[in-house]
Amino acid sequence: MFCEKAVELIRELHRMGDGQLPAFSEDSIRQVLEEMKALYEQNQSDVNEAKCEGKSELIPTIKFRHCCLLRNQRCVAAYLYDRLLRIRALRWEYGSVLPANIRFHMCAEELEWFNQYKKSLATFMRSLGGDEGLDITQDMKPPKSLYIEVRCLKDHGEFEIDDGTVILLKKNSQVYLRIKLSYIHLNTHFFFIDDYFYIIVRLIVLYIAQTLLKK
Amino acid sequence: MFVTCIRKEFYDVVVNQRVALLVALDIDALCACKILQALFHCDQVQYTLVPVAGWQDLGTAFLEHKGQYRYFVLINCGANVELLETLQPEEDTTFFVLDTHRPVDVVNVYNDTQIKLLIKQDDDLGVPSYDDIFRDDEDDEDGGDSGNESDDGSEPSGKRRRFDEGAMERRIERQRAKREWEARRREILFDYEQYEYHGTSAAMVIFELAWVMTKDTKDMLWWAVIGLTDQWVHDKITHMKYVTDIATLQRHVSRHNHRNEDEENSLSIDCMRISFEYDLRLSLYQHWSLYESICNTSYTSCSFKLWSINGQKRLQEFLADMGLPLKQVKQKFNSMDVSIKENLREVIEESSSKFGMKDIRIQTFGVHFGFKNRFLAADVVHAATAVLEGVEKGEADNFIRALDCLSRSNLDRLHLGLDLAKKKLKAVQQTVASCICTNLILSQGPFLYCHLMEGTPDVKLFSKPLALTLLSKYLLKAFICSTRNKRCKILPLIMAVPLDVEKGTLMVLGIPPESDTSDKKNFFGRAFEKAAESTSSRALHDHFDTSIIELKTEDRGKFLDALITLLS
Repeated sequence: MFCEKAVELIRELHRMGDGQLPAFSEDSIRQVLEEMKALYEQNQSDVNEAKCEGKSELIPTIKFRHCCLLRNQRCVAAYLYDRLLRIRALRWEYGSVLPANIRFHMCAEELEWFNQYKKSLATFMRSLGGDEGLDITQDMKPPKSLYIEVRCLKDHGEFEIDDGTVILLKKNSQVYLRIKLSYIHLNTHFFFIDDYFYIIVRLIVLYIAQTLLKK
Repeated sequence: MFVTCIRKEFYDVVVNQRVALLVALDIDALCACKILQALFHCDQVQYTLVPVAGWQDLGTAFLEHKGQYRYFVLINCGANVELLETLQPEEDTTFFVLDTHRPVDVVNVYNDTQIKLLIKQDDDLGVPSYDDIFRDDEDDEDGGDSGNESDDGSEPSGKRRRFDEGAMERRIERQRAKREWEARRREILFDYEQYEYHGTSAAMVIFELAWVMTKDTKDMLWWAVIGLTDQWVHDKITHMKYVTDIATLQRHVSRHNHRNEDEENSLSIDCMRISFEYDLRLSLYQHWSLYESICNTSYTSCSFKLWSINGQKRLQEFLADMGLPLKQVKQKFNSMDVSIKENLREVIEESSSKFGMKDIRIQTFGVHFGFKNRFLAADVVHAATAVLEGVEKGEADNFIRALDCLSRSNLDRLHLGLDLAKKKLKAVQQTVASCICTNLILSQGPFLYCHLMEGTPDVKLFSKPLALTLLSKYLLKAFICSTRNKRCKILPLIMAVPLDVEKGTLMVLGIPPESDTSDKKNFFGRAFEKAAESTSSRALHDHFDTSIIELKTEDRGKFLDALITLLS
C-alpha cells in the first residue's frame, strides 16, 4: 500500500515520547522519496496519455496518485519538522555542546541547522542586557520575588551581592538578600525569541527536503 | 533610652537599612523573631539572622558583623548588662533591644544615642531617676577657691586665715554630701538590681507593632500567643500578669475571628482558626493519653504525690470518681470514646476540686486548621522547647529546626517535637520521683540544694537551661508537697547538674521559693556573682538569665559555702 513507509516514519517518532530524538532514518526517507518519484513518473506518463489520447478513465488514478504524493510530502515534512523542534529543545536542555550519543542520531544537515540555531541564539543573547549580554538559558522559571532567604549550611566567608554590598555568610545564620535584577528583563523578552524562530525553521525544513530530494 | 513610638523610632528607621538580628535561645525570642521576619519580608528589609546562646556568642556575632551592619536588633538578650561596655561598638552603631529580662541596666536606660529599648515605660520597671545615680563632677569649685586665695595677695593675713577656714568647711561639707549621695546611690542600685524578673513577652511587643501598622496576620497572632504561653510554662511571669496579657490577646483574637463569623458561608476547614479555651492544665493531653498526661504534669503529679504508692491509689480513686474506665484513659486521646470526651473538662474540674486541685483549668488559646490539626499553645511551646534543646544535633541546627516547627507548613517537625516533649516530660517525672524517694534534696540552711549525679538517666537532657528550669520548678513543688518540715517550704532551691564531663563543669541554677503569691523575682544572679568573686571560683556567667551559671566541679564545695554565708 502506498504511503505506508511515510506513516511508519511518523509512528516511529511518535513512539519516542518526551522529546527524545531517535536516529535519523535515512533509509526510510530514501524509500519514501523513491516511492514519490515512482508515483510522480507514473502520473506524468498517465497525464500525457490522458491529454493526448483522451483516456478520461485514467483521471481517478491520477488523482489518487496525486493524493498519495501530497500525503507523502506532508508526512516527511512533519517528520523533519518535529525532529527540528526536538533538536531545538535540546539546546535549551543540554546547552551548546550536545552529548555524543545524541549527535549520532542527527543527520549532517540537522547538525548544520543546530549550529546555525546556536549562533543565532548567541547573537540574540549578546544583544540583550547591555554590554555583557544575558544568558537566558539559565533559570528558565522566573523567580517568585525579588528577595530570597538563604540558610547558610557552612561558613562561606564574605559574599558580594549585586549592588556592591558585602555580606558575611556564617554557618547557621539566615540571610535575606536581593537577587540579580536581570530576571526582570527575562520576562519581557520571552515572546520575542519565538517569532524569530519560526521563520528560520520553515526555511530550513525546505532546505533539507530539497537536499534529500535531490539525491 | 526607652522608645516612645516603636513604629517611628524603630521600624521606620530600619525599613530602608540592612539589619542584623541576634536572637537568644528561648521560645519567646523565636516567636518574636518569626513575627519580625514576616514584617521584614513584607517590606523587603534585608537582614541576617544569627542565634546566640550567651554573652560570648553575642560578642562573637557582633564582632563578625559589625563591619557590615549599622543596626542591630537584639531579641531577649542585652538589656540587663551594660551593652556598650561589653561590646565596644563604633559611634554610629545603633542597638534596638527587645528583651524581657529585668532589671534593665541603668546605663542602657540613660544612653540617649546608641541604645534604644523597645520596652514600654510603664512596664513595671521602677528605674531609679537620673539624678539619683549620675552626677556631674563638681571639682571646679575647689580649684576656684584656691585661685581666689592666691590672687588676694594684698589681704591681711587674718582675713586669709578666715577664708581658709571657710573654704575648708565648705570642702568638708561637700565631701560629706558626696559620700552620703554615693552611699544612697549604692543602696538604690542594690535594691534595683537585686532581683531578676521578666517583663512583657517580646513576641507580644512585636505583634503590637505589626498591629499598629495593620500588617498583623493570624499567624503572627498565634506566634504572640505562643510567646506569652512560653513565659507561663517556664514560670517566668506571675499569674496576674499572665491573665492580664491573655485578656489583651483575647481582644486581638476576637478581632481576627470577627471578620469571618458574619458571612453565611463560613471559612474552609483548612483555614487557621484561633480560639480562646478555658482548657485543662494537663500537658500535651490531646496528643497523648489522658493517664500519661496526668502522671507527667507537675500540677497533678504533685497534688497526688504520684511518686508514692498512696499517690497512685489516689489517682485510681480520682479516675474512678470521674467514672472513666482505665482502658479508655490509657488509650490515645484521639481514640477515646466520644461520649467521654464531650464533657471531659467539666467532669475533671469537678472531681479535681474534690481532690484539692482548684486550678486544673487555665485560660489559654488553641489553634485549629484542617481536620486533624488542633493544638493548644502550651503543646506547641513544649514541642518547640524540646526541639530547641535536643541533645542529638548541634545548638544552631536545633535553632533552625525549632524556628521551622513554628510554621504551619512544617507539621511533621512539630509532631517530632511533640514526641521529644513527651520523652522529656517523662524523664522529668522519673528524675523527680527518684530524687524525692532517695531524699536527694538537702537543706543547706538558707536554701535547698540538689545535685544530680553523673550516671543519672537522662542527665544530658537536663544540661540545657530551659529543661533544667522545668526540672527544678517541678522538683521544688514536689518537695514542698512531700516534706513535713514547715520551714523548708519557703526556701529557694539550687540545682547542680553535670554539664561537660571532660571539662569537669557543672551547670548551677537557682530558683526562688515556691508560693501561690510569688512574684517570681530571683535574687540568685547577684548572689552567684558575689559568691564566685569571694571564693575566686572559676564560674562562667554566660547565660542571659543571670541565675544560671557554669561552675568547675572542684569549686563546688567552696562556692556553696560562700553562698550559705552570704544568704544567712
